Amino acid sequence: MIKKSLKPFRDIIALALGHLTVFKHVFKKPVTLEYPEKKLPLNDKFRGEHALVVDNEGNLLCTACGTCQRVCPSFGTIEIEKEKTEDGKFYPKNYTIDLSKCIFCGNCVQYCPFGAITMTKEYELADEKKSALKLDINTLKKNYSDSIIGERDTSKR
Amino acid sequence: MEYLYFLYIELLHKYNLPEFIGMTTFPLLPFCVVAVALILVVLFLVLMERKVLAFFTQRKGPNRVGPWGLFQTIADAIKLLCKENITPTGAEKFMFNLAPLLAFVPVMVIWGLIPFSSEFDFMSYSVSALLFMTIASIPILGILLAGYASNNKYSLIGSFRAVAQAISYELPLVFVLVSVVVLASSLNLRQIVLAQISVYPFCGWFIFPAFLGFLIFFICATAELNRCPFDLPEAESELVSGYNTEYSGMKFAFFFLAEYAMMFIMCAFMATLFLGGFLSPFGFYLSEKFINNTFWAQISVYFEQVFWLFLKTFFLIFCMMLVRATLPRLKSNQLMGFAWKVLLPLSFLNLFFICCYKYFIYAK
Repeated sequence: MIKKSLKPFRDIIALALGHLTVFKHVFKKPVTLEYPEKKLPLNDKFRGEHALVVDNEGNLLCTACGTCQRVCPSFGTIEIEKEKTEDGKFYPKNYTIDLSKCIFCGNCVQYCPFGAITMTKEYELADEKKSALKLDINTLKKNYSDSIIGERDTSKR
Repeated sequence: MEYLYFLYIELLHKYNLPEFIGMTTFPLLPFCVVAVALILVVLFLVLMERKVLAFFTQRKGPNRVGPWGLFQTIADAIKLLCKENITPTGAEKFMFNLAPLLAFVPVMVIWGLIPFSSEFDFMSYSVSALLFMTIASIPILGILLAGYASNNKYSLIGSFRAVAQAISYELPLVFVLVSVVVLASSLNLRQIVLAQISVYPFCGWFIFPAFLGFLIFFICATAELNRCPFDLPEAESELVSGYNTEYSGMKFAFFFLAEYAMMFIMCAFMATLFLGGFLSPFGFYLSEKFINNTFWAQISVYFEQVFWLFLKTFFLIFCMMLVRATLPRLKSNQLMGFAWKVLLPLSFLNLFFICCYKYFIYAK
């Protein structure tokens, strides 16, 4: 009986405590991230735009074996033009990745027997034209050198 | 006020204008001041609401337009002005257009009833507190008309809810007002403020004898203003946007303006009734201490009084925003039950207590 009659008072105290909790948030740092100006730090394993690995002499590691093409779950994302040099080595004459089809699963990176393809941390890939989403071999090479330098210039593409 | 009038006539004489012009234009001046001040305050208030709510929820709030987002509301107002005014087919055109005005104009009128300082209350009548409550309930009629004329189920239900809510919460509000009137022995708002002067600073404020009344008044004012947690008329999960669902452009802006202006005025009224209105919380005016020149000290005291009133008002508005950030919306039956079963008996109790206080302690 006494417990029941005290209920309104306990409710009022709970109400006041609730307001106090909300009021405390004024002194906390806002969690908002003003996106275009500031960005979240990315995980090391982040899967962004692709890049073809270039060794110190400026040659591609890729041998155009087509493993990436086979393990890709999204059909027709990777297209490779295979060529042979005079000393009998295969190399890709052209290597195209269609970002509009890519699902960024990272299979190509994982299965590549030569470690010739990686993924950079670049994720602002939107463009006005669909054709701009097709990355050819030069772009992919450039992506790799840019990703090593760190900052990259997105305005040109 | 007469002193001001003579100053005005003197000013006109300097530019060789006849006294006739002064006589006719002087009563209009306060209205111009009031209207401009009201719109400025509302512009600031909308920004403040968004900013304060953002702080309560650990966000940053508008910060794109101008420094700290100061011009955000101005940009919004321009956007609303540029929008098309749509009158839905099947709506009662005359009433549909009348409703926003009916919601907005009374707010402008009661704004002048608040005593901003011991000299400048633009309208001072012997029953101004009663007049305030009377005119403050007219915007509800505008809301009812808006719901009725919109030819929309959501609007209609929203306006029904608004009216039901306003009727139930007006009663405890008025009973608390009566208790304040009993304490001050006057219905004039300036007299009510002056009755709160005491020997010790801020001890004479009516919030101390009538704390229960203050709480009831605060809750009822929140309900009158259709604010969270009593915003059933605009419950967006059920009623889209309530009574202003069909309104767009400038007409919607009028509703919006009226809502925020009403919020400011209600808080100013509350500050006048309970928190000593324009009185300084220190018992003396700062400008009296720091300005040696008698004439300028006298003038600046008036401005300081306005400052104190605004400070108290903004404190109350801040409290309302805190309530909005904290509490969820009530159910319709809870809303009515709370008004009739809890607040009304409590307001009777408050009135009884205040009468005893006045008879046995305060009078001696």
